[in-house]
Amino acid sequence: MRTLFHNARLIDPASGHDGPGAVLVENGLIADWGEALAVSGNTATVDCNGLVLAPGLIDLRVKTGEPGEESRETLETASRAAMAGGITSMVVMPDTSPVVDDVALLEFIQRRGGDAGGARVMAAGALTQALKGEAMAEIGLMGEAGAVFFTDVDRPVRDAGVLKRAMSYAAARGAVVFSRPDTEDLSGRGVMNAGVEAARKGLSGMPHEAEWIGAARDIFLAEATGVRLVIDLASTGRTLELVSEARARGADVHATVAAFSLHFNEVDVGDYLTYCKTRPPFRQEAERLACIEAVARGEVAAVVSAHDPQPPEAKRLPFGEAEFGAAGLETLLATMTGLVADGHMDLITALRPLTSGPADLLGLPQGRLAEGAPADLTLIDVQKPWLCAREDLVSRSLNSPYDGRRLTGRAVRTVVGGRTVFGT
Amino acid sequence: MRNEPYTHSFRHRHLLGIAGLSRLDIEMLLDRADALAELARQAMRPEPRLAGYTVINLFFENSTRTQGSFEIAARRLGADVVNMAVQTSSVKKGETLIDTAMTLNAMKPDVIVIRHSASGAVKLLSRKVDCSVINAGDGTHEHPTQALLDALTIRRHKGTLEGLKVAICGDIMHSRVARSNAILLQQMGARVRLVGPPTLLPRGAESWGAESTHADLDEGLHDVDVVMMLRLQLERMDGAYLPSRREYFRFYGLTAQRLKRAAPDAIVMHPGPMNRGIEIESAIADGERSVITEQVEMGVAVREAVLELLVHGGQVTP
Repeated sequence: MRTLFHNARLIDPASGHDGPGAVLVENGLIADWGEALAVSGNTATVDCNGLVLAPGLIDLRVKTGEPGEESRETLETASRAAMAGGITSMVVMPDTSPVVDDVALLEFIQRRGGDAGGARVMAAGALTQALKGEAMAEIGLMGEAGAVFFTDVDRPVRDAGVLKRAMSYAAARGAVVFSRPDTEDLSGRGVMNAGVEAARKGLSGMPHEAEWIGAARDIFLAEATGVRLVIDLASTGRTLELVSEARARGADVHATVAAFSLHFNEVDVGDYLTYCKTRPPFRQEAERLACIEAVARGEVAAVVSAHDPQPPEAKRLPFGEAEFGAAGLETLLATMTGLVADGHMDLITALRPLTSGPADLLGLPQGRLAEGAPADLTLIDVQKPWLCAREDLVSRSLNSPYDGRRLTGRAVRTVVGGRTVFGT
Repeated sequence: MRNEPYTHSFRHRHLLGIAGLSRLDIEMLLDRADALAELARQAMRPEPRLAGYTVINLFFENSTRTQGSFEIAARRLGADVVNMAVQTSSVKKGETLIDTAMTLNAMKPDVIVIRHSASGAVKLLSRKVDCSVINAGDGTHEHPTQALLDALTIRRHKGTLEGLKVAICGDIMHSRVARSNAILLQQMGARVRLVGPPTLLPRGAESWGAESTHADLDEGLHDVDVVMMLRLQLERMDGAYLPSRREYFRFYGLTAQRLKRAAPDAIVMHPGPMNRGIEIESAIADGERSVITEQVEMGVAVREAVLELLVHGGQVTP
């Protein structure tokens, strides 16, 4: 079973390649790729019509409601939304009900994700038992069972001693730790970015320094223990500077940024729009631009959807009482192609934190055009204008802050393991 | 069994730790203990060299085994032994450690054997009394008689300590047994490795005389002559230092499979009491490579030797 995807503009951030060519797929793997491929005999062909063919997108931060809150999203509906968004691999978060803090639950997620039959589903394990921040979870056993990293998701581990021991333990097992940079004592009651907008609206704020202090603490502990740390969802320029400075000192410290942090600022919260209530919050325009510049400089390992589906009953509430979270799987790619259209960076730079960036962080074989790599591909019409309308979303929850926005760039075909799972 | 006369005398008044003992001191203790162990095996009693002497066992931490071992050793040598039950004594009534020491000192004992939960407590007491003090374990600092009995057990199996590869495995951070053993073994020319989860391997452990530290048990066991497992305190497994018992056993438990990494004639040791199925598999604990019960036997001989040499210096005819 061989398929040739030809007449494409191939973009491979891993090797820095950007040029016309084709990809030959055999048995679910990339058999060959390049400008001129000699193909013999029994090969199906897909004409890419000159569109961009890139490694399938990898999203490191997806929440579903499975198990426990399937009305928000299941692994299956999330997988379909991912495929529609050009995402071929996604990592689901352990903050489900019950929490994924042991091997049995991890294997449940893996099995259900496999059954969903679309995008590859990988699972992150809890760093501490029940995400309580008190006792470390079974990092070694879950790692052996295939947990790709360990995180307490939105809850920073409050006790620095617990975090340090968990990092130290993870380092010896070669496990990667993700942590949200936050200081609950400062931001615990906040519902949006602290500043003029919050003050005018009469809402309590989440200040920048809450994120800086959290990031600095976690970075120092990572340096002391030698663990690979990913500062998860950095939303200010200074947080990203802290990460880059640490890496310059030789620390194995990296950062992710949520797509919404690159697209929105606090003014978008507008008239108390609860779809715009996220953690981290939409910041000032200067911070948005600083995050974009960091991506353009290649200092952000991964841009993630931070997909957090919430049903209407969780969002149709006064702003302060509504749940945090925004659906993001179907707008991740358009956020990045939009930055290219706006002249912030070139396409290969925009695609790196969606492909080889996250793959290299976790040591995954996908996310690159390489012989023998999984044939996960996304065909992208980078110029395509479209209107994001919530009723058109595939995700079970429709809480997208992009609702009504005009976007540029969209996945037209998504291929997982050589099989087209979205588009024709 | 050696019969040569000693070439020097044992000049220590107290046995507070292995640190401070010379190689000759250690050899002298081991030689004497070895002779006493042989005597016991022949069902013979040693000379009652402590007849008329008073030994006080002062255990601030419960330990049936160690206290019993010291008591048997002292009685075999003819000493009068008093066990101070700390739970019921005036310590409970708020008396300070030093007051307790002064009070006991006034009773003119010849030797006080002390176990205390605070590192350094035995040293503090030794400064306040006129008699000999033996450290039976102070906090996470030292447990010298355990290291001596371990060394004697190894020497009886391997002939010498010189050049042996010894892996000490488990909760290194909280183990006084690991500290005393590491110091003694390197003093005697053995090559020590410390193996344990990173959360239980203290920084700078190399400086106690270990050749290397390992977070991977398989790596640490490679080609060793002696595997010394440590007891894991169950409270370490509540998640603060380790995720769970089953994860500990998976990565740090000694199994038959893992033991294959060691030299074919490697012996397995444990200071007891064991957590079977957590740090050691029962088949190994009870297997032919295990010398765990012999360690207990050597414990009495070593404590007899320590008592004799502290009281009489080197003036004992072997």
